[in-house]
Amino acid sequence: MMEFSRRRLLQTGGLVGTALVTGGLAGTAFSRIASAADDPLYAAAKKEGALTLYWGSYEQQTMEAIRDAFKAKYPGIEVNLLRQASQTVYTRLRMELQSGVHECDSLGTTNMLHYTELKKIGALAPFEPVDGVHIPDAFRTLDPDKMFHVGAISLTSINFAPGKVQSPPQSWQALLEDQWQGKITTGSPAFSGDVANWVVAIRRKYGDDFLRAFGKQKPKVGQSNVDTVTDILAGERVVGSGAPFSYTLTQKAAGNPIDVVAPSDDAILNLGVTGILAKAPHPNAARLFTNFLYSTEVSMILQKNFWPTLRKDVPWAEGRSLDQLKWTRNTGDDLGPEVAEGIAKWKELVR
Amino acid sequence: MGVISTDSPDSAAAATARPAMARVPLARTVVFGAVALLLFLLVVLPFGWVLNNSFHDDITGAWTLGNYTRIFQSVDLLEPLFNSLLLAVATAVIAVGIGVPLAWLVSRTDLPFRRTIRVLTMTAFVTPSFIGATGWILLAAPNSGWLNALWRSLAGAEAGPLLNIYSMTGAIFICGIYTVPYSFTMVSSALDEMAVELEDAAATLGSGTLRTMLSITIPLVTPAVIASFILSFIQGLTLFGVPAFLLTPTGIPVVTTKLAEFYQLFPPEIYMAAAYCMPLLLVTAMLFWMRRRILGRKQFITISGKSRAGRRIALGAARWPAFGAALLLPLVSVFLPYAALLLVSLTRAWGQGLSWENLSLHWYWWALFGNSETHTAIVNSLLFSTFAATLCVMLGTVVAYIVERRMVFGASLFGAVTTVPIIIPGIVMSVGFFAAYTRAPLNLYGTPLLLVAAFAATFLPIAYAHGGSILKGIGPELERAARSLGAGEGRTFLSITIPLMGGGLLSGWFLVFIPIIRELSVAVFLITPKTNVMTTLIYNAKDGGNYEAVCAMSVLLLLITLALVAAAGPLTRLTTVRRTSRKSGRKTAPAEGVLPT
Repeated sequence: MMEFSRRRLLQTGGLVGTALVTGGLAGTAFSRIASAADDPLYAAAKKEGALTLYWGSYEQQTMEAIRDAFKAKYPGIEVNLLRQASQTVYTRLRMELQSGVHECDSLGTTNMLHYTELKKIGALAPFEPVDGVHIPDAFRTLDPDKMFHVGAISLTSINFAPGKVQSPPQSWQALLEDQWQGKITTGSPAFSGDVANWVVAIRRKYGDDFLRAFGKQKPKVGQSNVDTVTDILAGERVVGSGAPFSYTLTQKAAGNPIDVVAPSDDAILNLGVTGILAKAPHPNAARLFTNFLYSTEVSMILQKNFWPTLRKDVPWAEGRSLDQLKWTRNTGDDLGPEVAEGIAKWKELVR
Repeated sequence: MGVISTDSPDSAAAATARPAMARVPLARTVVFGAVALLLFLLVVLPFGWVLNNSFHDDITGAWTLGNYTRIFQSVDLLEPLFNSLLLAVATAVIAVGIGVPLAWLVSRTDLPFRRTIRVLTMTAFVTPSFIGATGWILLAAPNSGWLNALWRSLAGAEAGPLLNIYSMTGAIFICGIYTVPYSFTMVSSALDEMAVELEDAAATLGSGTLRTMLSITIPLVTPAVIASFILSFIQGLTLFGVPAFLLTPTGIPVVTTKLAEFYQLFPPEIYMAAAYCMPLLLVTAMLFWMRRRILGRKQFITISGKSRAGRRIALGAARWPAFGAALLLPLVSVFLPYAALLLVSLTRAWGQGLSWENLSLHWYWWALFGNSETHTAIVNSLLFSTFAATLCVMLGTVVAYIVERRMVFGASLFGAVTTVPIIIPGIVMSVGFFAAYTRAPLNLYGTPLLLVAAFAATFLPIAYAHGGSILKGIGPELERAARSLGAGEGRTFLSITIPLMGGGLLSGWFLVFIPIIRELSVAVFLITPKTNVMTTLIYNAKDGGNYEAVCAMSVLLLLITLALVAAAGPLTRLTTVRRTSRKSGRKTAPAEGVLPT
């Protein structure tokens, strides 16, 4: 039995090694496994034997890749991944807390308000990941009490059909030009957190006049901002507003005729956030996973899937980085009411 | 009759339809007790939580009527209700308007390729309507839809779009065509089991085929027609995918898209959403009241000891034109949208369009082998649906029997309770189940049992309505005969009623199995990583914008379900044979004529 598990360990080590080498990383796999095995946190997590993730950040494919890399690096911990839309995951967690159910170890959603709320009711546990020092400076300390950390970086931008558009709009303002009338597709702030964030940012920047003019452009309003890609690929519209940056690039890489513009009047940056539950059934496994998020392995996976990485020392795909972009992020304590107001104004002026 | 009586204070009229009294009160008590308990667990408890939630404030958690007053004070909340009613009525009209004639053609006439039409109609049924909507977006989006492109190539590039799927008409069309299978299945199984002496009488008196159909055949299956109208209406009221895809772009809100918004808000307005479902309950209750008025005390018994064999009506010269008309539904609900989905699923990157280099089975490979979740999800979907459908049909049929034969005092209350779950949109019911089964003593959270229960409960109304409409056509004479020969209530039910319901029960099983396997929203808060199902994966892929994967998985889901439906063909024949032998063996000879020939 002992021998068997050692062989398994070596096999896994070999696999991870291959992954690391193909990922362009130096360093021997065995030393990594050895260092993982010596890690007291890993030992404690292994004793717990399991980890339950409730995640809405990242799409299924990327999230599964992260899970699989974690399992490969830390054998002996079974990972249960519940991947649903952020708001669904959060609603479920809230209901679980109300019923006194404690299933979730690590929560990852795209809305910081979830975490301020959970912190208020004492549902989060503080933790300072060692590898957190590699997080880009702007997002290193989201919470002074270390109750939650950045889990994902997502950018909202403009996308377009290169074959059909000679010179795409380079800014949000340019979307209001006559030539784009009836040509724009977008998501709905009532369905999509990213679009809601975009509406808040645009109102802060240009006020309701922008929404009024935008409404006159007769955009096609889908649900999620992912629908902008669908509409452009189908040929239903040629320019997408409030569009997902990473996902558009993934589709481009897959060979689809689509491209992305980072608007000169700021791409809207939204943070996915993650936290460990105060009553997590596997707290050590959750800590191990949170720290793992800031590992080179995870940032390499993010790079491969066209997501902004979580480490300063790992560039994004195609050599992009945060410094090259003009971006803005909605901050403030009153975001909740501001979102609601934005949705109401949208319904009045756009739909 | 020498039977121990446990009489209940029922009306004299009810007594006519009631078999003799129970022989063993204990067994009777146990059965009714079990049914009542199951209904309590599956319906009353989760719905009770929904109702309770609706009277609480989302922020403070305090008791309030505020959610209800908000509905009637805000145009924002009233408008979706009216739009939903419009969508529901139109859906039901289309479903019945197409489903009933189609059922008649397939069940009662010598239409060519009847079995094929039946299978194709079931194929439409297998399709989750949001998949159908996706297919139709590819076909009829105003700028990019392939049918519109074809139109422009004929009429000139400047011509406006021929079709615009992003409209109320578009949504009604999609909801309608994907709801036809309900009315088709319910009405055709009533027609299948029906005897023909009244039709013969009409024909003898010189009535033409059409007139006989309109004045004899269809009125005889009124219970099935009305039941399917109500079900279709409820479908139109509770579907989420179709309005979300087709009406959001035009800015037409309906109840279900509004509900989704409540859940999307921060903090989510779960309690408000619960209150917002109650007007749907009210409207549907009115429909059931109207059904009672229409059906009244009329009798629709078409299976009795006196029946003769069914015979097919010759369509004559109309045979092939009728076949052409019968193909229209499969054309718009199966062939066209699936052609679109199939093409997308076979491309590596669908935005590149169709070319040999872009052709690939990659996404099928991915769905079957490249993704660790799909295997579990397929197995789970099949297992949960099988158990849930079986539980659903068993319970639904017994309740229908109790209600139709008015076996206990307050039987109609059983019926009312059974009908509730389907009216409450899945996502709200999901919260009810969550609340009911995540706390002691009934903590089932994370177990397959919880999903089976939720699925069974959601579609219990279909099994019940279907069972009821079949039972309305079966006269109680044969049951009475059995009772006077000394059989108990249970034995009568099992050896007379169930065999007489026969094929209708099997079609009833599929009538719930298929919606269960394609159901999404009721599972939303109940699935866990280990109890994930196919539809949640498809929805995740859609959510992540992975269109090719959505299409490939939808085609797979369709193939799996079709294989099951095809496997049911021989099963149907098997049950028919068994029914024949059993009945002739027992020498209830006059009933032989009931069997389809």
